Amino acid sequence: MFSDIKAGDTTPTHNHSSVRDWIVGDACTIHYTVMEQQHNAQESPTKPSEYDPDINQDELIKAQEKQIAEEIKANTAMIGSLDDLSTLEQEYSNDPVYSGKVKTLLPKYCNVRRTRPDGNCFLRGFIFAYLEYCIHHRDELARFKKYLEGSKEELFEMGFPKFTTEDFHDMFMEVVSDLEGSGSVDRVEAVCNDGGTSDYLVVYLRLLISSHLQKNAEFFSFFIEGGRTVEEFCKQEVEPMYRECDHLHIVALTAAVGVGVRVMYLDRGEGAAVASHDFPEDSTPVIHLLYRPGHYDILYNKA
Amino acid sequence: MAVQPSSSAVRALSLEYRGLQDEPVEGFCVKLLNEDNLFEWEVAIFGPPDTLYQGGYFKAHVKFPPDYPYSPPSVRFLTKVWHPNVYENGDLCISILHPPVDDPQSGELPCERWNPTQNVRTVLLSVISLLNEPNTYSPANVDASVMYRRWRDSKGKDKEYENIIRKQVLSSRGEAERDGVVVPLTQEDYCIKTKVKPDAEPVDMYDFYDDDYDIDDDDDGDDDDDELSENGEAWVGVTEIDDGDDSGNGES
Repeated sequence: MFSDIKAGDTTPTHNHSSVRDWIVGDACTIHYTVMEQQHNAQESPTKPSEYDPDINQDELIKAQEKQIAEEIKANTAMIGSLDDLSTLEQEYSNDPVYSGKVKTLLPKYCNVRRTRPDGNCFLRGFIFAYLEYCIHHRDELARFKKYLEGSKEELFEMGFPKFTTEDFHDMFMEVVSDLEGSGSVDRVEAVCNDGGTSDYLVVYLRLLISSHLQKNAEFFSFFIEGGRTVEEFCKQEVEPMYRECDHLHIVALTAAVGVGVRVMYLDRGEGAAVASHDFPEDSTPVIHLLYRPGHYDILYNKA
Repeated sequence: MAVQPSSSAVRALSLEYRGLQDEPVEGFCVKLLNEDNLFEWEVAIFGPPDTLYQGGYFKAHVKFPPDYPYSPPSVRFLTKVWHPNVYENGDLCISILHPPVDDPQSGELPCERWNPTQNVRTVLLSVISLLNEPNTYSPANVDASVMYRRWRDSKGKDKEYENIIRKQVLSSRGEAERDGVVVPLTQEDYCIKTKVKPDAEPVDMYDFYDDDYDIDDDDDGDDDDDELSENGEAWVGVTEIDDGDDSGNGES
């Protein structure tokens, strides 16, 4: 069923304007942008001239968020092309803090792949980078397939509706089986850029995270803010689409799937050092991700 | 900006629609509002037995967004429903249909939320249980909510709420008759499952009919086979409703 997807089908030009990248970050930033825009009547076609009690303000905000999300969708591929890391350097040519840090990355990393900032960037980056890794490590692909097979029953046990969960699972299995047969990086790129398929993979990863968190609720409950239970956290922050992944999500996913991830943190901290963190702790990372506040992209190690 | 329906939406909706036709679920039946459009359904919900809503026949439109199942559908009752969580125009307000993002329904109890594994079954089953157990923390119809609480707190002595519901149920039964639908009145009838016919059409693509799918313990056995098939007809009564010309005339 994937035969009609070609690599590069959805490869729009990436917008390198750093301002835009920051404003149009992931899901939560979108909300902020909406509020910004509502101060500006010209920019906001849906802004009412004055308060009208008959107009549902929530609906207006939602509509505008949707519009912004659609714009991002139209302009950014879910998984972008393999870019030289120097493009990142150019992006921050006017920013001493960031450009200093990018320079620190240069000896270690050669390439970057940008992901769509839609709240699913971590998961999409993760699954792309991991499947790409599996293309070159067939044993790992076989291991992952076996894990996936077993994960379905586990999700049923957690109470996820069988009817739909099975569909997400089957799609994932189809993708993995397909890669076993004719796997190439182009193929992975095509699959991860095909909306229907890519989003299904993301949903399934979310279920795996939720399941892992809930199974280990006693432990994870200490890390959840706002007086919520682990179950509530999963329902609000993990299972819904477009919710950004945080530390907790990453800890849970890497532990559940058994895949080591190294995250390099680009932030406003002083100095040129780039903080990094391995998930699970003390694991050997097979995937490298670049974190900038609210967003994850994929990094490539120098061979 | 017109948003193209995602391929996920078409996949999920056709799967669900087929599944519900081949294997109806207790308490409701469904049909497409228009054969060519998977994104608008008409559903009929049966009032659960041993509640005020027993025997009721509540029709509603379910509208799916282009990015279903990542965003929830919306449900609007066509039948008049006096209920704390139903707006005057029929719009249903229930937590499972809310996206989790900055929920406007603050004060709502933390409960079932929309996620992509939710589906028409889970939504409609939530609606059925909501009928009898309104959420009075964030009422959509404040008058109904106040009235409901008076009824509940007086242990049924204050009958205003009850009377309105019973009247609405009664008038909804006329609608059921016009649609040729037999609304199950007893717990037993309500919960009886339609057996999947062994000679059902071949299932293409997905093998999602596991034997144990959605089995509850309320199936009391198969000794009353006659009733079973009779009710089965009523459930699949979807097709009977199809013949009616009642679609799409709900006021809004």
